[in-house]
Amino acid sequence: MDSGLNAELDLARQRLKLMIDAAGATCGWEWDIPAKRLTADARFAAITNQDPLVLAQGVSTEHFFNAIHPDDLKRVKLAVAGILGGSALFSREYRLLRDDGGFRWVHASGRALYDDNDEPVKFIGMLVDITEQKRTQERLRIAQVAGGIGTFEYVSGYGTINVSEQFCRLFGLHPAKVLPVRTLNLLIHPDDNPIINLQNPNGFQDESNAEFRITRPDDGAERWLARRGEYVDDIEAEGRRYIGVIFDVTDAKRTQQRLREANQALAERARESIQERNRVWQNSRDLLVVIGTDGVFRDVNPAWSTILGTEPQAVIGSRVLDAVWPEDRDQIRALLKDVIENLHSDLEIRLTHRDGTPRTISWTTSHEGDVVYAYGRDVTIEKEQRAALQETEAQLRQAQKMEAVGQLTGGIAHDFNNMLTGVIGALSVIRRRIAAGRLDELDKFIDAATSSAERAAALTHRLLAFSRRQSLDRQSLDVKQLVSSMEDLFRRTLGEQVELMINIAADTWKAVTDPNQLESAILNLVINARDAMPEGGKLTIETTNAALGEADLAQKESLQPGNYVVIAVSDTGIGMSQATIDKAFDPFFTTKPIGQGTGLGLSMIYGFAQQSGGHVRIYSETGLGTTVKLYLPGSHEDVAAAILDEDPVYVPPRGEGEKVLVVEDDASVRMLVVDVLKDLGYQVIEAVDSNQAIPLLEGKERIDLMISDVGLPGLNGRQLAEIALSNRPKLKVLFITGYAATAASRGDFLAPGMEMITKPFAIDDLAQKVREILTGQAEA
Amino acid sequence: MTQAEIFLGELERDALTEVVNIGVSRAAASLRKMVNKQVILSVPSIAIVTRRSAAALIGQRESEGLIAVQQHFEGPFSGRALLIFPESNGLSLARAIVGGEMTEDELIDMEDEALTETGNIILNGCLGSMANMLQHSLKMSLPDVLRGDSEHLFDVLETSNEDSFVLFLYINFSVREHDIRGYIAMIMDLPSLDKLKMLIADFIERVT
Repeated sequence: MDSGLNAELDLARQRLKLMIDAAGATCGWEWDIPAKRLTADARFAAITNQDPLVLAQGVSTEHFFNAIHPDDLKRVKLAVAGILGGSALFSREYRLLRDDGGFRWVHASGRALYDDNDEPVKFIGMLVDITEQKRTQERLRIAQVAGGIGTFEYVSGYGTINVSEQFCRLFGLHPAKVLPVRTLNLLIHPDDNPIINLQNPNGFQDESNAEFRITRPDDGAERWLARRGEYVDDIEAEGRRYIGVIFDVTDAKRTQQRLREANQALAERARESIQERNRVWQNSRDLLVVIGTDGVFRDVNPAWSTILGTEPQAVIGSRVLDAVWPEDRDQIRALLKDVIENLHSDLEIRLTHRDGTPRTISWTTSHEGDVVYAYGRDVTIEKEQRAALQETEAQLRQAQKMEAVGQLTGGIAHDFNNMLTGVIGALSVIRRRIAAGRLDELDKFIDAATSSAERAAALTHRLLAFSRRQSLDRQSLDVKQLVSSMEDLFRRTLGEQVELMINIAADTWKAVTDPNQLESAILNLVINARDAMPEGGKLTIETTNAALGEADLAQKESLQPGNYVVIAVSDTGIGMSQATIDKAFDPFFTTKPIGQGTGLGLSMIYGFAQQSGGHVRIYSETGLGTTVKLYLPGSHEDVAAAILDEDPVYVPPRGEGEKVLVVEDDASVRMLVVDVLKDLGYQVIEAVDSNQAIPLLEGKERIDLMISDVGLPGLNGRQLAEIALSNRPKLKVLFITGYAATAASRGDFLAPGMEMITKPFAIDDLAQKVREILTGQAEA
Repeated sequence: MTQAEIFLGELERDALTEVVNIGVSRAAASLRKMVNKQVILSVPSIAIVTRRSAAALIGQRESEGLIAVQQHFEGPFSGRALLIFPESNGLSLARAIVGGEMTEDELIDMEDEALTETGNIILNGCLGSMANMLQHSLKMSLPDVLRGDSEHLFDVLETSNEDSFVLFLYINFSVREHDIRGYIAMIMDLPSLDKLKMLIADFIERVT
């Protein structure tokens, strides 16, 4: 029975223990201080592994410390000593060993009871199993530290607040368990909410989430903290307990702030950018246009009305083509397609002004998305000015050309008249001598006439070549032979500094061309080549054949496909730029210093080549040299030459032995005049220029008439006449001139007793004039 | 972190806390009788710091001027003990002690007297109990009242002597319906602290 009872008792104990384990129930004790006796309830006994019956009856106070973990024992004993010594409160957490070898955490809370003399007489209290709570606390602590979360508890009506260590760290304070609320509130920015509002100490705190700035006392830094919390019922006293957490939200706040600032800055920039765009749109003098891909104006800026007379409102929504100048619409329709399809395009379009006239607009467009942005500049006036300028330039060039031609022809006419005079005079002499039966010395005059005529012909050729209207003496010509025959001439022309190479292909065809012109052209090219090599170099003349097909011919060249003889003249000189090449064939274009070139050389060669049915090409590299290739049609045919006829006979009046002074610098003209006068029965004295003439005039010799060329070297004919008249006031003077300008102002030029005859003149006319002067029949 | 951990082991700290706690409990009991209100004196937190740190510790927490009751003590360990309140708490404490019958002017006249009395009770209770627990006696001077900031109270500026340490006890005086808080500080030099440490060790030996 006893054993059955004991078994039942054990069972009951176990059940109780399980209950204690499950419920975490409290277990009380009472310590009688003067009697030094401890009594405790069954739960206390169970949790400390003691006999409940014994404990209920009272035991020595040593039993209080039963089952306490050895590591905690001293701490607990100290605390108990405090209570026994007079401390009011006992509050300790420690470990109790279990009979299975493990331990549990308990919280022991107790207090002392005093007698009338304030001496402690009883120490009562209870244990609470807080193992689970400890674990939770530990987890909470770890979470708080890891999350940087500080906790606090505030009991309504108190001036202080219970805080965690992390809480103090967040506030930058020395760790403490209790802090004055005022202290915390003073650390909070005055504009922000306090952590606890003490205005109404016993009232409720605002439970909503709060954020505030604090200045940390330890490092002076300003931080943002957030508070979250709620009220729970106070389990220890009446009233309520506000439990909450704080955490640092500075980074988030700063990020927010930066984000806000960035947004503001962005908005500001966007606004400025829009304003800027608007200003540009409004104030632009040029057209700014937005066009849809359907070819309709989406928007145009106010410049439209300035440039085209129509208000933007009237333009927006209309078709682009309607604004285009009617004549250009077909062309623009295609271009507009390009603009819409391509990304970029530059084009010039004429638009119609409201007054019905066209305006030329230069457009730059860019296609973005489904619209085309176009920027247009009015170039109407610019275009007109450009055209006017071009016209003026052309006129100026023409005027310059005409002036040059005038100068040139003036000079040429003088030379040409001299030559004709030689021919005509000689022929007259021959005729007279034949008529007189004097057939000796005729050869001299025939030669003189021929020589003069040939010189005149050469000059004419040059002029014709210049005007590109020369009549070519085209014949089948052996180019090889011609070039070879000129070799001596080249060498003399080139001097020692230039090395000459002549490469003649043996199979070079004959060319159909004019031998003289070709000779002149080649010589011209050689001289140009020489002048391109002032420091010396190598000059090469080659002849080859070229069979040119369509493909070989450059555009704009007038050359036809066919067989050509090519004469190439190359130098190793300074070369020409493309700009120079482009202008090289223009008349009067020259790169040589003034006075050293006429600018006609290449121009004449070009004319000659064109007329021959050939061409000239220039190949040049600046600094390396130049090759000019002359293309002449190759051929095997001969060309016949023409023959000239002669004039009928005439007898001029004769002289009567009067003495005549002839002053003329052209030897053949002088010889001719002298011979004619002698033949007519005059005595003749000759002088080449004024220097020879003046001593004769100052001398005593009889002189009835002075015949003088106007264009003499040194003192001219007019000045010589002045000197002559000052010595011999009655002297008669006859001027010979080939210069039309002088003849045109005959009245101003001639003093009384002076006459003028214009070259070229017939010998008979000269005889007639001399006779008239000497017999005083001249009208002056 | 604090000098206390260098000077005292964990158990010694617990023991010192307990000894102080006994004193504070006595003081609270006395105070409770005086003001006839519920007085909660928190379990003190203990730190041994330099004077400068002690001054900073209070300066951090209190933004206003301070008022302190000071008593010198002599015995196996010597120094001075301070009961420190925020200046504005002085009147509150006086009011709590003398009750609501007095006018503001009368209270101001009474303030120093009330504080001296309060300080005497608390400091005497505290130091007396400590000495008693450590089985020695201390000779206490008469209390006097100091006003100023924390640096002034701890003589930070006048002292360059780093030997002066402060046993700093932070106690929360939560007097219901009166927002009162305070600190107890015991300023001792190193030899006195060493002596205190020896006495603590003896105490531990005795009770455990």
